[in-house]
Amino acid sequence: MSKKARLWLLAVGGIGVAVLLAFAVFDLPGFGGTSHPYGDRAVRSALARHTANAISSVNFDQRAFDTLGEESILFAAVLGTVVLLRETRDEHSEPPEPVHVDPPVRRYALITLPVTLLIGLYVIAHGQLSPGGGFQGGVIAATALHLLYIAVDYKALEHIRPAAAYAVADAAGEAAYVLLGTAGLLAGSAFLANFLPYGTLNTLSSGGTVPLLNAAIGVEVAGAIVVLLARFLDQALEIEGGGAGGPRRHDEEGRR
Amino acid sequence: MADLLIVLALTLVVAAATAAVFTRNPARQALVLALLGLALAVVFTVLQSPDVALSQLAVGSALTPLMLLLAVRKVRGRGRHDGRAREPR
Amino acid sequence: MNGWLVAAATLLVLGVGPALWGAATGPVRRRVVAQNLATLLVCLVMLLLAQGYARPAYIDLGLVLSVLGPAGTLVYARLLADELAAVPPTARVARAMTTLSVAAPPLVLPLCVVTGPGRSLAKLLVIGALLMAGNTVSGRAMAGGAHLQRETHDG
Repeated sequence: MSKKARLWLLAVGGIGVAVLLAFAVFDLPGFGGTSHPYGDRAVRSALARHTANAISSVNFDQRAFDTLGEESILFAAVLGTVVLLRETRDEHSEPPEPVHVDPPVRRYALITLPVTLLIGLYVIAHGQLSPGGGFQGGVIAATALHLLYIAVDYKALEHIRPAAAYAVADAAGEAAYVLLGTAGLLAGSAFLANFLPYGTLNTLSSGGTVPLLNAAIGVEVAGAIVVLLARFLDQALEIEGGGAGGPRRHDEEGRR
Repeated sequence: MADLLIVLALTLVVAAATAAVFTRNPARQALVLALLGLALAVVFTVLQSPDVALSQLAVGSALTPLMLLLAVRKVRGRGRHDGRAREPR
Repeated sequence: MNGWLVAAATLLVLGVGPALWGAATGPVRRRVVAQNLATLLVCLVMLLLAQGYARPAYIDLGLVLSVLGPAGTLVYARLLADELAAVPPTARVARAMTTLSVAAPPLVLPLCVVTGPGRSLAKLLVIGALLMAGNTVSGRAMAGGAHLQRETHDG
């Protein structure tokens, strides 16, 4: 296809999308209006299920099956990364040189690590009450561990991070979500139905299965992020040879 | 008047996103992307969706920069020298 | 629109806007400093919004940012170490960062007074402490190259 034909094709496609978008925009309800048909129903439903955070009620109760899909996307993405970034036969692994870190920075990281971890767990545990939940809290907890690499040393991180254990945690979290869903099925209603008592509104134990599903997601996400970053860190710091590094110069010359 | 904060936050997002597109060096782009993430978090908060804002902050403030900069380091191929080896650029 | 929201809008225009300019242009060291400043400012904006919208739950946003913001800055300080060491932040920049880290907690104080005793107050105090510690340390980490170089010159 010639360059001109490709440009024409792009123009036609672009104009088509623009027209569709314009039609969609003119059909939208006004910005900041008072009519929220879906929102009203979701909030009413959330309160009926004693879940103070309506978003969590939608994510883990009213639309819990959609969340299973999202969780599986993360799971599959991390699995793909692990396969792509594995150490290939023409690569070898060397421990990175230790790095000097300013002592106050190191002390700060060691003190903040448990604080950050605690904040992550707090966000997971309060998902049914206040903004947050398994995903956000899991990411925060996983980031907390990496303060060890950022401000101490990669060796220190490797000590507390047997990647295989976190991979198991990742899979266990995913499995726990499905098992909780199946429990709803066994309790006599539907897959991922809320089968536990709803508890008192605005207490930690409210929401029935919502806190449990949040915990499952939290474990899955934290494990997934740790495994993901472990592959990135190994590639960037330890693995030598193969495609990257030396041959880069040849590539550049080849391109010129 | 009540929409002023929304307008301000959206303006910041547009400015940050444009700046991110025009920053060509990936390491510097990571810094602009961090600011784009912060601006997005403000937008989500003024639109009263703190759950989304929290997701944005959790992912955008430390995790994304770490992954981006590790990828940049690997591609530049100065793996274990941990920043000491310098290439002409 | 109440006073707290006006304050948040002012901080966005006068603080985060210039920080964005600083992060999008100039040498790496200025960008890292600007990014760090932006996380500090947005953390304060979140607290002001929480007060302005009368939603104590929004304080969690500030809490998360007060630990992850400095962590992000340390990521840059660690992985852009050679570029920062090549052109380390000047003493003026390091001083400005320290001043800001000392100036931030007093901005939390009026919020504390309005909040009154309770769980939110505890969170605000924790955020203030984390901001102070985090910004002092990230300022130090950014100037790290400079410190080391000076030490070797002295020795």
